[in-house]
Amino acid sequence: MAPSASAASGEVAVVGVTKRFGETTAVKDLSLTIPHGSYCCLLGPSGCGKTTILRMIAGHEKPTSGDIRIGGQSVLGLPQIERGTAMMFQSYALFPHRSVLDNVAFALKMRGASTADRHAKARELLTKVQLEKFADRLPAQLSGGQQQRVALARALITNPRVLLLDEPLSALDEYLRLRMRGELRRVQKELGITFVHVTHTQLEAIAVADTVVVMAQGHIEQAASARDIFVAPRNAYVARFVGGQNVLSGSVESVMNGVAAVAGKNGVRYAIPVGELRPMRGSPLWGSIRRDRVAIEKVAPGAKPTTGLNAVVGEVHTLENQGSYVKVTLDLADSEEFVAHVADENFFAHPLDIGERVVARWSASDVKLLEDGPIAEERAPAGTAMATAG
Amino acid sequence: MHGDDTRPWTFYAFAAFFTLFVLFLYGPMIVIYILSFQGPNGGMTFPLNGVSLHWFSALVSQTRVGDIAGSFVRSIGLAAIVAVITVVLSVLAGLAFRRRFRGSAFAFYLAIASLIMPGLFVGLGIALTFRLLGLPTEWFTTGLGAQLTWTLPFGLLIMFAVLGRFNRSYEEAATDLGATNWQKVREVTLPILLPGIIGVALFGFTLSYDEIARTALAAGARNTLPLEIWAMTTNVTSPTLYAVGAVTTIVSFIVIIVALGSIAIVQRRRAAAGMRTE
Repeated sequence: MAPSASAASGEVAVVGVTKRFGETTAVKDLSLTIPHGSYCCLLGPSGCGKTTILRMIAGHEKPTSGDIRIGGQSVLGLPQIERGTAMMFQSYALFPHRSVLDNVAFALKMRGASTADRHAKARELLTKVQLEKFADRLPAQLSGGQQQRVALARALITNPRVLLLDEPLSALDEYLRLRMRGELRRVQKELGITFVHVTHTQLEAIAVADTVVVMAQGHIEQAASARDIFVAPRNAYVARFVGGQNVLSGSVESVMNGVAAVAGKNGVRYAIPVGELRPMRGSPLWGSIRRDRVAIEKVAPGAKPTTGLNAVVGEVHTLENQGSYVKVTLDLADSEEFVAHVADENFFAHPLDIGERVVARWSASDVKLLEDGPIAEERAPAGTAMATAG
Repeated sequence: MHGDDTRPWTFYAFAAFFTLFVLFLYGPMIVIYILSFQGPNGGMTFPLNGVSLHWFSALVSQTRVGDIAGSFVRSIGLAAIVAVITVVLSVLAGLAFRRRFRGSAFAFYLAIASLIMPGLFVGLGIALTFRLLGLPTEWFTTGLGAQLTWTLPFGLLIMFAVLGRFNRSYEEAATDLGATNWQKVREVTLPILLPGIIGVALFGFTLSYDEIARTALAAGARNTLPLEIWAMTTNVTSPTLYAVGAVTTIVSFIVIIVALGSIAIVQRRRAAAGMRTE
């Protein structure tokens, strides 16, 4: 838990915030604390309310109810400049009629700084983003990646304690996107200020953030470290949205030594660890298994594979070579997609073909319980999740 | 280029139509310009009886052709006033209409409906109302009002088109960087919209400069240039009429060149900001 925030702290607290636009509710009674100096990603599909939260922190939208606090102080009704926030817009919103230097110096000009002072400070920031040579260009004369760095420099000139980034990488091509996300992370570490970054790209969030907040329909599904979001999704929604996991489901047959035996469709049986919980016999239960913890074996034509616990039989539906691994998608009798990431050397030692029958096996100890169905009510509700990060 | 020989018949149909359009528009005008250089003893039709600037000088010296110089000054002045008022009100209204307010749709249609009113009756109505109230009709009062009923809706529609392409995040970015509302408008909104605003001014000016229908009955005793020319076509039987046509066309061209030139200068200054910062 974050220590009590001082005045200069960039701790952002969203407290019971609801935002309605007319009839539609964009954000529903949402609470979230982002510790000072951490990198937080709001991740979710479009329309999940992540940009609305960002715009409310920035002061471009007003919450219908609830409070926004920065450094422990409510900032509702305060102008942007007193919030200590700065925003980087999705399209960068660089002023097309001003040079790069004047774009970066804009905030200082608004405060009445002298031309010499503001240009000196702006040049300093341009040097930091390695664009000092382009100071006299117009934004339209720069590449997308350069424009993004100008937008970053322009936002940082006010020494904000919180930088808000709205889909900052979505306008870039794949190569630049990968480079710039590393760059953003480096700048955040260097400045030690809070970054709140909105994205709909799972791997981008996991790559840059200390804390990832997965959202759906105006509420938080899970707020956790990037690693936990990936390896320990809280529920089936997070597991499916973040990817990297297969979701298993079925009804409880028996519980023994903290492990439930679960019967899925078509006689498939799984073991799902349940810890101290005692799910009722016959109640539905969900679990997840990482795609890279699944082993694939070919089934000889006509042979009847031994399945037992923790194995499914299916046909190879698609194969995608990802370089260091091959993504094998199986067509199972039940509709849920089942994917195995097979390390390249293993795959190419025994290559598979589309349409081949295979059996996928995994170890019971790699299965994680998901909080869906009756189990969810026995755990803490998601709305109060606190994001803590290292 | 290959494939050019397989143009569809519609290409030739449109090309033929366009040729007719060009001939129809520019042919008669060119004839008028040529005839305006008619010799002193020449008539209103070909052949040219010598070449001279006689009819141009007659324009200012002869009193019997009417008050060309006076009406010209009035028209330029009126067009300038109309352009300024149209720009100020259209820009403000355009910015205001970005936010839906109670009755905004009604206000918009009320303004736009003015474009489909028969112009002659708008002018007549204004003149009658002033006469009823015992107020004099003048080109700079009733005439100005009648023309604004025409230019303001146009200006508003142009501003809608201009603002439709304006990204509001420019304004949010300015606010984010500490600009006050006034700084935001002055430093960001207006400069980015400037080329469109010059377009509104150009429209306001030219629509006013050759307006007849609304002005005819509302201009009062002293004519604007189009009204003066209209009167001349019925009682002047010399190439002076053509000289008037040539001069007014030149003025129109100058206005367009000034407007396009200033847009180009705005653009160039932005590019020059690339070399030298303010």
